[in-house]
Amino acid sequence: MIAWPTTTLDHLDIQTEAAKAHRQGCISPETLEAIRTAHPAKLYMPNPITRVGLFILTTIVVAFSTGFLLLLTITSDSMSAIRAMLIIASLLCIGALEFAISQKGSYRSGINESLLWSAVGLLCTGIFLESHNTSGSTVALVVFGLTVLGTLRYADMASAAVAYLSFLLLIFWQAMLIPHSTPVLPFLLMALSLAAYLITTRLVKRTALRHYADCLTLLRILSLITLYMAGNYFVVREVTNTMFMLELQPGQGIPGGWLFWILTVIIPPLYIFLGVRKKDAVLLRTGIILIAMIVFTVRYYHSVMPLETAMVIGGLVLTGGAWALIRYLHTPKNGFTYAASDEPGMADRLKVESLIIAQTFTPGSRPTDTHTTNFGGGSGGGGGASGDF
Amino acid sequence: MNIDTFSKLQKEGLISDEEMQRVTHTETTRLFSLHWEIKTALYLGVLLLSGGLGILVYKNIDTIGHQVILLFIALLCIGCYAYCFRHRPPFSREKTESPNAFYDYALLLGSLTFVTFIGYLQYQYTAFGTAYGLATFIPMVVLFATAYYFDHLGILSMAVTNLAAWAGIAITPFQVLSQNDFSNHTLIYTGVALGIGLVAMAELSEKRDFKKHFAFTYRNFGVHIFFIATIAGMCMFDSWYLVWFLPAAVGVYLTWSRAFRDHSFYFVLLAVLYGYVAVSILLARAMFNHVDDIYVGFLYMIVSTVAVIFFLVNLSKKIKQP
Repeated sequence: MIAWPTTTLDHLDIQTEAAKAHRQGCISPETLEAIRTAHPAKLYMPNPITRVGLFILTTIVVAFSTGFLLLLTITSDSMSAIRAMLIIASLLCIGALEFAISQKGSYRSGINESLLWSAVGLLCTGIFLESHNTSGSTVALVVFGLTVLGTLRYADMASAAVAYLSFLLLIFWQAMLIPHSTPVLPFLLMALSLAAYLITTRLVKRTALRHYADCLTLLRILSLITLYMAGNYFVVREVTNTMFMLELQPGQGIPGGWLFWILTVIIPPLYIFLGVRKKDAVLLRTGIILIAMIVFTVRYYHSVMPLETAMVIGGLVLTGGAWALIRYLHTPKNGFTYAASDEPGMADRLKVESLIIAQTFTPGSRPTDTHTTNFGGGSGGGGGASGDF
Repeated sequence: MNIDTFSKLQKEGLISDEEMQRVTHTETTRLFSLHWEIKTALYLGVLLLSGGLGILVYKNIDTIGHQVILLFIALLCIGCYAYCFRHRPPFSREKTESPNAFYDYALLLGSLTFVTFIGYLQYQYTAFGTAYGLATFIPMVVLFATAYYFDHLGILSMAVTNLAAWAGIAITPFQVLSQNDFSNHTLIYTGVALGIGLVAMAELSEKRDFKKHFAFTYRNFGVHIFFIATIAGMCMFDSWYLVWFLPAAVGVYLTWSRAFRDHSFYFVLLAVLYGYVAVSILLARAMFNHVDDIYVGFLYMIVSTVAVIFFLVNLSKKIKQP
């Protein structure tokens, strides 16, 4: 079912595990080399930067090829010609993808992702182009079907995420058709998310599904988020308001609002608590991120304090808390440590952190008019390039 | 690490019993690391604090309260710098290890509040006169000094961004294309000069063995701004595009050969991509203006991009990251 030979993927797993053990000083370099030669994985797996480059280039190729195919149909004005071309383009993408995998062993190379997503996108456009009568449920069903196939064959994380979300949407739209179902909808979605979380948490440990572990982990995170969002006061109020035309005035609550307020405030701390107890990074990190959603929700409806004061206080709390934690974990306690884990990864090599700092930093007073600025040493005349002018 | 995998390897005789024991021991005593959580919290906290204080000052500018806030900013800045002076490792030409993560972010907070403070002084009292250059120049000098003295890459990036702002260019990663008006010819010249200057700084850092690990940051900013400026030059100057192609080509060649020497696939990728864009623009301006056929354009794009993809795939097999 999966596009790559499973033994190759297993060998890849063994190699990564061995590399980890080597980094931690558990096995010698000779052992690592021996393991690598005994378990060869002939896959093309470029580093993350190349992946991005290849992704962009492949997307350009797909865009221009599709454009070229559509240009050929420009003389005929029937919709079906355009449709046919879009579907042909999509099939070409799948063909190219299968070729790249079977001939070049392309695995998570940026080419794969670009071709797969383009294929699904083009196919959906081809199917639903100019069909105004199709209901949302049909679209969700088709998208769900395609992305499930994509996930199963290519173990693609984004496909898995889209499949899960379109599934929830499908259920949501179907349930809406049942009369008087509105008050139950949030709880239905919460129950589904919880079920999805429990199931994926089970499945992620299954060896038979080891090649889908990343997809399943992503689904775990997503199901935790949807579980929270389905009970979040802001989401529930605004969605009910727009979908069922309640025409709520600002300041007006929804029936049973108190329940959603409780859910809004209680779920993220619960995630964090469980994450700490089970030492589960997924629960812990999702909980931390969702804390921001609590702050947003509360601030949206109640102006507790002006934004800048909130920022200052939040900043003080965060820095102070982190400082206290560093002190507390100076010697590891209860199985927690402050020391970095053994994954040096790409972030280090590319100095990602310094780039983020540069991105969020706006230089003080930027000169508005460059002509009056003192350019400093030799700009404009100095560089070798401008000597030609 | 997965114990099952290793016991399988042990059975195959690939790892020794002693190594297996070490693996099991490491795995069972492994601690749960909160490193990234704490770092992110610190970074967000510093950002919120400096951002919030910055807004707070300007919002309360007419009241007496703003001087209190200003005092608070000044104290915070001094406090951060004082903390870092006390805890800093002795100065070295090499990379120094920071004593703890809090130190890094205290330094960041100190620098950010300093920039806010200078900005405020300029805004309220025009303390540095009407020559705007000075109001960006002083933070720049302080940022560079801080980056070198305390050895902080993030602050170095801030300093480089500030240097570019002083010269009139935005080189913040996501704004480099949207915030700059490349139809302004001075900007293009400045960009080329700045790019060459930054790359020269990178070379100097490595050659003189002075803060070698800063070279990547300089080179990264320099290479991008140089290529963006020369490519903008190819687009903007109607009859001189061929002349602008030459520096771009030289830049591609130099980046390429340098990247091969350093085994840095990142810069090889940059050289290939920017080179491809430059060649395509050259061809488009030289030929497609005269050939009135859109199909040729499309075919060129498809064929050439596929060629670049194959080229990159083969290259990345050749260059293995060290």
